[in-house]
Amino acid sequence: MTQFADRSAHRSYVAITGAGGGLGKAFAVECASRGWDLFLTDLSPAPLEQLAVSLHNAYSIDVVVYPCDLTDAAARSNLFETIRSTGLRFWALINVAGLDYEGLFYQQTSQQIRTIIRLNIEGTLDMIHSLLEYRDPLQVFRIINVASLAAFYPMPVKATYAASKRFLLDFSRALRQEVRGLGATVTVLCPAGMPTTSACIQAIRAQGWMGQITTCDVGRVANQTLNAALAGRGLVIPGLINRMLQTLGALVPAPLVAALIGSRWKSAHQKSALDQRLAES
Amino acid sequence: METDLSDKTFVVTGATSGIGFAVASALSVRGAAVIGVGRSTERCRLAAHQLRSLNPKSQVDYLSADLSIQSEVRRLAGQIQTLLAARDKTALDGLLNNAGTYAYWLTLTPDGVELQWAVNHLAPFLLTCQLLPLLQAAPCARVVTVSSASHYGARINWSDPQLRRRYDGLQAYGNTKLANVLFTQALNQRLGTASTVRAFAADPGLVKTDIALKGTPPIVNWFWKIRRSGGISPAETAVGIVFLLTEPGIQNSPACYWKHSHPRRPSRPARDLASANRLWALSEKMCGFHLEVNHDTVC
Repeated sequence: MTQFADRSAHRSYVAITGAGGGLGKAFAVECASRGWDLFLTDLSPAPLEQLAVSLHNAYSIDVVVYPCDLTDAAARSNLFETIRSTGLRFWALINVAGLDYEGLFYQQTSQQIRTIIRLNIEGTLDMIHSLLEYRDPLQVFRIINVASLAAFYPMPVKATYAASKRFLLDFSRALRQEVRGLGATVTVLCPAGMPTTSACIQAIRAQGWMGQITTCDVGRVANQTLNAALAGRGLVIPGLINRMLQTLGALVPAPLVAALIGSRWKSAHQKSALDQRLAES
Repeated sequence: METDLSDKTFVVTGATSGIGFAVASALSVRGAAVIGVGRSTERCRLAAHQLRSLNPKSQVDYLSADLSIQSEVRRLAGQIQTLLAARDKTALDGLLNNAGTYAYWLTLTPDGVELQWAVNHLAPFLLTCQLLPLLQAAPCARVVTVSSASHYGARINWSDPQLRRRYDGLQAYGNTKLANVLFTQALNQRLGTASTVRAFAADPGLVKTDIALKGTPPIVNWFWKIRRSGGISPAETAVGIVFLLTEPGIQNSPACYWKHSHPRRPSRPARDLASANRLWALSEKMCGFHLEVNHDTVC
């Protein structure tokens, strides 16, 4: 199941990056439940293998896994070379892999900042560029890029991350127009925080009632986004309150938004850090 | 009149606190050998220590396993078999599928399964199937699964049984408790009326446990603390569960759903055999195996 041999020439796959956990895993499960064959990648091999076996059993689909460090250009080249040599074809690409080291910019290491940009931007663009080449010529090619609600605002405490997601948002909107002639669509997903790990749940709790009402479950987000992509929609913001916030945010001048978010996030960040220290002590 | 349990062995999951611990101690006090299962090694060690101090002569073992992961359930079944062999035993007299969880947010396990569906339904299903040969080797054995009155009103949505697309924690919980009753019906049907193994679903009533306090938002904690204040103690509900695990008189009872030692009528969807069989087939697929029931051991 995880080997490349004996692929039917007529099979066409959905590629998902960051498929080992959180939203990526939710996308993988949702696609599997729709009977779609999957190509999954993530940094560590063990969770991918485990997920692949379970999805293959539960939904009788073919799952190919390829663990890869998408921040590493050489590793990406190997991935694309493997795809080329095995003749895999794709009808969809879901770019979920992305990360953030939350904290103040001047307290982050330069390595951390580079990693954010390499994964969120370089890795994503490289995946799109290569998989467009290996797309299934018989089908519409669906690209889903996972940005964030953070893409709409300058966000203190998440400055690099939010800007990298802004990059993806604008890039996706432009690319959507470029690839229209190729029979491809681009959908960009801008979700609020999602309760995927205990750290995320902790962070949502640290935001208080705002965290509670802006949070959407990953399963719902994955399902809604796939439906939107199949319908060729350009932008998905899950959750009515999040859509309202985004509309309101667009009316307020950017420096003011940054100041407002800054005051809220700094206190949430401090509370979260305090909770962590209490938990450790 | 309480029967002597000194030559019997029972497996109890979720046995480090709440209902599971109360049942484990009740069985242990009556002389049964108990294999408790818990998620945390440390809590297992503490529970084993407590049980041994209640009855120093009792044979108590605890095994730790994360029942949300299918490979862990399989590993646990293997360990139980090894442990029994080490104790010169070839059979298991009862399995209590008690471990259960509640999750406010949708959480997917490493197998890509919704957490409550995995822990509350698939784990009992898989563990029971894996331990079935050991249960069939006993002269008379029981599989008791702790369901709940929250199965009333639940209905399995076959297009999305885990409620992944429209998750609601309480609804998902109710569905898994409905799945417990359906599983019990389907198991009995597969075993046949002449089987030495009999399955029951237990309604524990409202019990003062910490089920909704683990990893849930403050509002849920608050609500559950108020709600459980009207509940009974784990020891009180354990009486009815021990009855289902040990009472010889109910071996041929057609009743499948019990509350405090009395048969109750489960909900209409829970009595639907077609759903029970459909759930069984779905569960086999999700766990990647097909159960062939061996009827040779029928007495």
